[in-house]
This record gives sequence, structure tokens and C-alpha cells, in this order.
Amino acid sequence: VIAVVTRVEPVGPYWLVALERTFDHGEPGRFHMLRAVDGEAFLGRPLSALAVRSDEVEYLLDVRGPGLAALLRVGAAVDVQGPFGRGFDLGAAGDRPVLCAGGIGIAVMPWVAERLPQGRLVAGFRDRTAAAAAGLVPAARAEVVVEPRLVTAPLDAALDEASAVLACGPDPMLQAVAALCGARGVPCQVALEAPMACGYGACYGCAVQLDGRWQRLCIEGPVVDGRRLLAAPVAA
Amino acid sequence: MTVAVGRVTLEHPVVNGSGTLDALAAEAAGLHVAAELAAVVTKTVTPLPRAGNPPPRIAETPAGMLNSIGLANPGIDAFRSTVLPRMRALGRPLVVSIGGFAPNQYASLAAALRDEDGIVALELNVSCPNVESGCLSIGSDPNETRSVTARCAEAAGDLPVWVKLSPNVADVGVMARAAEEGGADALVAVNTLRGAAFDRASGAPLLGGPGGGLSGPAVRPVALSAVAACRAATSLPIVGSGGVGSGQDALAFLDAGASAVAVGTAAFREPLLARRVREELAGLLAAGAGRPSRAESRARSAQPSTAA
Repeated sequence: VIAVVTRVEPVGPYWLVALERTFDHGEPGRFHMLRAVDGEAFLGRPLSALAVRSDEVEYLLDVRGPGLAALLRVGAAVDVQGPFGRGFDLGAAGDRPVLCAGGIGIAVMPWVAERLPQGRLVAGFRDRTAAAAAGLVPAARAEVVVEPRLVTAPLDAALDEASAVLACGPDPMLQAVAALCGARGVPCQVALEAPMACGYGACYGCAVQLDGRWQRLCIEGPVVDGRRLLAAPVAA
Repeated sequence: MTVAVGRVTLEHPVVNGSGTLDALAAEAAGLHVAAELAAVVTKTVTPLPRAGNPPPRIAETPAGMLNSIGLANPGIDAFRSTVLPRMRALGRPLVVSIGGFAPNQYASLAAALRDEDGIVALELNVSCPNVESGCLSIGSDPNETRSVTARCAEAAGDLPVWVKLSPNVADVGVMARAAEEGGADALVAVNTLRGAAFDRASGAPLLGGPGGGLSGPAVRPVALSAVAACRAATSLPIVGSGGVGSGQDALAFLDAGASAVAVGTAAFREPLLARRVREELAGLLAAGAGRPSRAESRARSAQPSTAA
């Protein structure tokens, strides 16, 4: 499906890109492959939606290369594939969910927060400029830290009264969050990231270590039970 | 648009490249890719399960991508017991790609598959550049290629054997002849072109595995040249593979001497690419004076005269 970029806005160091809602927007934590038709990138980039409006689907981008940069133009035609993968299990979040985000991992939280209005946000960023993105999350309660403070500090305190943790961020953070939740006995869903060429299981490029072995993130996730990150590697 | 690839008759000339489609995962994602393919070519199966290479496994490069997946697969036993029955249920002709690290491994895989229903051909992957040893070293040596092909042709019984060739050789025509002498039914040309890329900031390799293979439009001229070389060197039918993204691209492969084409990397961004390629090719063949008969005569002349 082709969708046109309707809005591009800076949010700290990130970019909010809105597409006209001409496609199945899926569920929070699932993803689309997005590719600017006139861009130089040959393949799409996997992105989970930030929020769904009446006539737009929004994404938050941490632009590192030409694939995403080509999406930053109002009027650009974007090829959208998907939605693919498994999203958050919102029904399993309980009555006191904690939304835990690190850096660009904040990009999936606004939609989750809309669906879980009882949710509390804990978020960590590299600096105060980036922390502006926490403002996109409509959570009643939010704690935001910047480096050198890590998000695991406020998370640890929040776990005392958490029914579940829904987390997204860089791999080392998610590993720490999964370990912390495991130790505290709190159910934890983590949204992982990996380079993908296809999004539908064909390329085998998005291997991540789950249950101790390399598995395709597009099939298993991108949202998986945090305990799956904690298994020791098994020989093939 | 029926075409003959040796003893295999395909409904039309578009299949997928091995390792570029998990037809079962595609169905689960609601993408009915298998129905668009004249035959479904499996990801390469090896004797033992393989976890594959550590990430990063892919990197985009100009007009294409590098991959270093490392032949991740469940191994022949699990393939036969778990994967193959579900693949069969797709109701499409199956071409099973087999790979190994020594000649006897290919022959044992062929023997294990010869009596399985639903398989129309075996494809010998002697051209994977992304594993430490074996595979490509066989496909880089004409004597090894001839010998492996012959042993597989014998072990496979009545099942036709296709040989997937590498562009990473000085003269692909030599390998094509070796495969023909070994008793191959058809050639698949070509596998990925060896490649590498390095991170701009750190200088570290962009891929985690021991090798990398380039695919996509960037390799199309290389693939077309290889197909033409195979056409000149042998009379075997050829499945052309490398950067096919349109009917026009497919037609170029037929012009180079192929009977059919395989789509791969471009289907990553367009899952139902095979349908578009087939429809565009049909239109081009119908519109282009002389072209249909040319493609058909190639397919006919490529059939062995002893074919049943």
C-alpha cells in the first residue's frame, strides 16, 4: 500500500512522521516496513507505530541513514508493508502496568498508554533534549531520567506495585529490565529491534537470541516475553 | 506460459530463489506467496540443524543488500518430519535445496529425499559464500562439482537434480559444463556475489558471519553475464537468478538464455513480486514480436531428447 507523508515534526533529536491512514495500522507493538518510493534505500525499514489518529498513523524516527531520512518529507510517497509480527499483549498487562522506555524505545509507548490509561511511564534518555519525547506519552504518571541515571533505577522502585512491565529500548537495557523483572517475579513484555529486510520471515536477517538460540524476531516478536531473553545459549 | 526446465514442467517461468522465502511463514502472515510461484524452492537444508551466523546478518548496500545468514535450517530429519508435510500442504511443486560440507553429505541428503512426495527437483547449493568451509569450495572446483552432481543424480533416483552455480568463479561456464557432465537436469544461475561492508564510524565489518553475499539489482548484470556464459557452455535449461524485480528484468534473463527466473531480494520489499513479474512478463512476451517463440524454442531446445 502507498501512503503519503502528511506531517513531519521534530521531537528533540527524533522526528515524528505521520502517514495518511490508508492501510491496516495493526496493534501496538506490531510493525510495518516503510520505504520512501523515491528514496535511495532499496529495502523498507521496520517501524512500530507511535499512535493512530482518525486519519493518520504516526511514527517516531531516530534517523541514522538514508532509509529513514527519505521519510522526512511531507508529500513523500511511502510503500507500506504489513502490519507484521506480534505486538503487546495488552490484556495481560493487569491493572497497574509500568511502561518502560529507553531512548527511541519511547516510540511505541504513546499508543500503548492510550490503550492502558492506568499505565505509569518510566523512561530513560541520553540527555534532556531526547527526554522531550517522553511528553508524547499520555500517561497519568511519569518518571524520566537522563544518563548517567539509568531507567532501571525508577523501574526498580515502580516494580513494588507493578502488575506487569511493557518495555522497549536498546538491547542492554531490555536485558537488564528482563533480568530485574525476572528477579522480582513481575511479568515483562519487551519490544526488541533488529535489522530486517522483509518483515515476514523470508530473509532470516533479524536473528535475536531467544530461549538461548538465534530466532527470527519478525516471527517471534517483535514483542516477546522477557524471560526468553534470560535463557542461557544452547548449542545448535 | 508453461515452460519446461529439463524434466520439470512449470506452469509459468517464475519461481523463488532458495533462501529468500519461508513459504509457511508468509502464509501465516497472510501473504499467499506460494500460489504465485510455479515452484516453491526451499531454504537450503543440511544434514544437521544449523543455528546460523551471529548478527548482524544483513546490511543494505547500494541497489541491494549483503547477507550472511549461514544456512540456518532445522536439519534434514526435522525438515522431513515437520517442515516438508506442511510445505506439501501448500499444494505447489517443491524444489528442495540441499547443502553440505563434504560430497557424501549431498548424496545422503539426495537419498533421504528421493522418495518424498511433492518434490519435483533437488537443487544442489554448491555456492553459498557465507559458511566457513565446504559448499562454495565444491562449487568453485569443476571436478568436485561434476563428482557431487553425479553422486546426487545417482542417489536421487528419478528426481531431477538442479545445480545452483556461484558467480564467484573465474569461468562459470566451466562449472556449468561440469554440472552437465555430472548429470544435472538444469542450472540455477546465480547465487550471491561475495561482498563486504564496514561500519563508517567504527570500521568494524557490518556483518557478523564469516562471509557475505550480495544480492539485488546490483548483481543483475553479473547474473545475466553468468546465464549467457552457461548458455554458451551447455545445453542445460537455466533458471536465471539475480536482481529480478520486474517482467522486463525477467525478459532480459530469457534473452540471456534462461528458461525461467527466480525472484528473491526484491520480494523482500514486495512479497507478491512473483505475481507482478509473471504478469508483466506475459504482457511483454505477448506484445514483443518474435519474443514468445524465442523463449519457447529455448525452453524446448533445453529439454533433453530422452525426456519422458
